[in-house]
Amino acid sequence: MSEAYFPVGPGLGMEENFLSLDDILMSQEKLPGRAESALPRLAVLLGQGAGSAESIPEGSKLEIPLWLAKGLHDSKRRIISVELPKIYKEAWRTVFSADANVVDLHKMGPYYYGFGSQLLNFENPENPEIAQTDSVCSLQTFIARFRRIMDSSQNAYNEDTSALVARLDELERALFQVGQKGLNDFQCWEKGQASQITASSLVQNYGKRKLTEVD
Amino acid sequence: MEPAEVEFLAEKELVTIVPNFSLDRIHLIEGDLGPFNPGLPVEVPVWLAINLKQRQKCRLIPPEWMDVGKLEEIRDQERKEDTFTPMPSPYYMELTKLLLNYASDNIPRADEIRTLVKDTWDTRMAKLRLSADSFVRQQEAHAKLDNLTLMEINTTGTFLTQALDHMYKLRTNLQPGESSHSQDF
Repeated sequence: MSEAYFPVGPGLGMEENFLSLDDILMSQEKLPGRAESALPRLAVLLGQGAGSAESIPEGSKLEIPLWLAKGLHDSKRRIISVELPKIYKEAWRTVFSADANVVDLHKMGPYYYGFGSQLLNFENPENPEIAQTDSVCSLQTFIARFRRIMDSSQNAYNEDTSALVARLDELERALFQVGQKGLNDFQCWEKGQASQITASSLVQNYGKRKLTEVD
Repeated sequence: MEPAEVEFLAEKELVTIVPNFSLDRIHLIEGDLGPFNPGLPVEVPVWLAINLKQRQKCRLIPPEWMDVGKLEEIRDQERKEDTFTPMPSPYYMELTKLLLNYASDNIPRADEIRTLVKDTWDTRMAKLRLSADSFVRQQEAHAKLDNLTLMEINTTGTFLTQALDHMYKLRTNLQPGESSHSQDF
């Protein structure tokens, strides 16, 4: 069944894929920011006041989802300015460069790479190097963690992999699954199971008509 | 691609069999086979050899390289060198599995051969993982893998290409393309 299902994958770049469910979930993540001008009658939405007429004062701190921040932000900083979340800041970057493997990217992310790439959209004219180092950091993190993902996905056969994937970011999880599939397919073939026709997992899980009952 | 599809391609390789029946030349789309005479060796594709073997109409002669001495040499050579060494057959893994599963009574020291081929495979896969890691670490964009067989490429291929695809995207984020200016106005 999975062969006939082609989900739209994440974009992982400056632009997300419009129909990618992963990217939609990723753009829900909150981003710290600051209102550069007063935003009239919006205080309720952002939980900063009670009355519908209250406005968000200029300079107040906000937590806004990425999609909204992207829409409101432009390089002239008229409406909002955006700060880097703390895991993309210098302190965490040092941790990553020390040993990327110890970091729990699922807790930090779970869309660490995708979100980090999207942050490049907020490249401020004053400090382009932040966005630069952020992406370099993503790349270096990925490179440093690659070996472990590869080894664990291709060596763990018939094992409980939940401990292995617990600390992986969503992108890495997908990669892990691909590696597992390659290994599993090969092992099945080697044992001669590939030539046996088996019921699709969809049919097996389908409550109304179990193959065992037909027999 | 699935291992079964790789096996399908491997089944086109030729092996020698000794039939115990007579048959004239048969004309097949991919070429003529035969004539088949009892006791005379003849070359046929693996798929036909296995079918005839299952019907007990032939005896299979193992390929030249499927020999304990030669395979030991290959395994040691593989362990010694850093790069991949040429394999005796582009489908060594598939042929070993097929022939040993269906005609192990015609292959001398079948168990040892199975172990040797598996050892060679493990050595090569470990090597492949090692080179993939250094490939990624040095952020290379191309590599040459001359002596890898299709089955080896196929087991890690999707994983590797997908990882490199992610890496490419993360890396090209750095270079401000046209898309990054679309937000400025």
